[in-house]
Amino acid sequence: MNLQIDTTIKRTRAYWFVDGFTEMATGGFFILLAGILLLRWNTSLTSSPSRFLSIAGEISIAKFFGFLIIVLVLWWLKDRFTYPRTGFVRGNRITTAQILILIRNIVLFLLLPILGLLALSLMIASAGSVLSSMPVWFPIGVALIWAVLCIWAGNWMGLRRFQIIGALFLLAGIKVGIWQYVMGLPASPENMQAGILQLATVDILYRSLTSLGLLVLIAGVILILSGFVTFLRYRKENPTPYSEDV
Amino acid sequence: MKNLSSLDRVIHEPARLTLVALLSSVKSADFLFLLKESELTKGNLSVHLTRLEEAGYVEAEKTFRGKIPHTEYRLTPKGKSAFEQYRKSLGSIFNK
Repeated sequence: MNLQIDTTIKRTRAYWFVDGFTEMATGGFFILLAGILLLRWNTSLTSSPSRFLSIAGEISIAKFFGFLIIVLVLWWLKDRFTYPRTGFVRGNRITTAQILILIRNIVLFLLLPILGLLALSLMIASAGSVLSSMPVWFPIGVALIWAVLCIWAGNWMGLRRFQIIGALFLLAGIKVGIWQYVMGLPASPENMQAGILQLATVDILYRSLTSLGLLVLIAGVILILSGFVTFLRYRKENPTPYSEDV
Repeated sequence: MKNLSSLDRVIHEPARLTLVALLSSVKSADFLFLLKESELTKGNLSVHLTRLEEAGYVEAEKTFRGKIPHTEYRLTPKGKSAFEQYRKSLGSIFNK
């Protein structure tokens, strides 16, 4: 009986994702970010440090406005499509305590183990070789964080497709990492000094950003496909808005 | 037997239990959402919601979305506490 109650609660939690709009919007946003990461680097003509700052600035702006636009578009779509078909739900307000618990868990179970692994690798290998292998481990690390978050969210809401998406993110990260490894690792910077940006370091950062851009692009495509399939299924199950006469 | 008789009979009814479980994880939900998720008929849903309102477990808020009347239902603090208590009682019955 308690298991059935849990299933019912999870179904309600997952209601925001019932129509696939959120995944499609987030996927579109990811592709926009990937576009900035992958295309702007090659088209920018300014010097490297300025390029990093310029791209970082553009990403911040895209994140802010992208998030705002996504929220507005989602509200509009749901108000016209989802709520007339399957009803309206007002979510619980997230309390400060819940946010703090979430942050604590992310730091304890995700960031600290990753930092620990990084520290361990620095003890085994030189800082230069760890840095030069960044294009390999960086996308894998990011994908691992996304995968854990997706799988946890999938479990919390009882959504199997989120767990599959998490697994696909991780596979994509590993694939990008392997691809960078096969291309050959960039040269390790020699005699690293604080405040001096060497050409080798710039190359490493460029390759790492390219890896991240590819990962974000693949993740965006995965999210859009998943959202679209979910949308088609939802529309098939609920072809017309609910009518009192039915 | 004592544990079984201590179960809240208002919530114990399967349809009402589903409604309370649906409302427990959201701030509020409208009639259509409860209708679709509970798979009850409109008449049945109304009866069970009225029963929950009478027990003080659920409260309804009537508003308008545009020109269309809209009723949202939410669990009261009493309803939340009763649901938690019910789950605990249920758990203790099966654990013994």
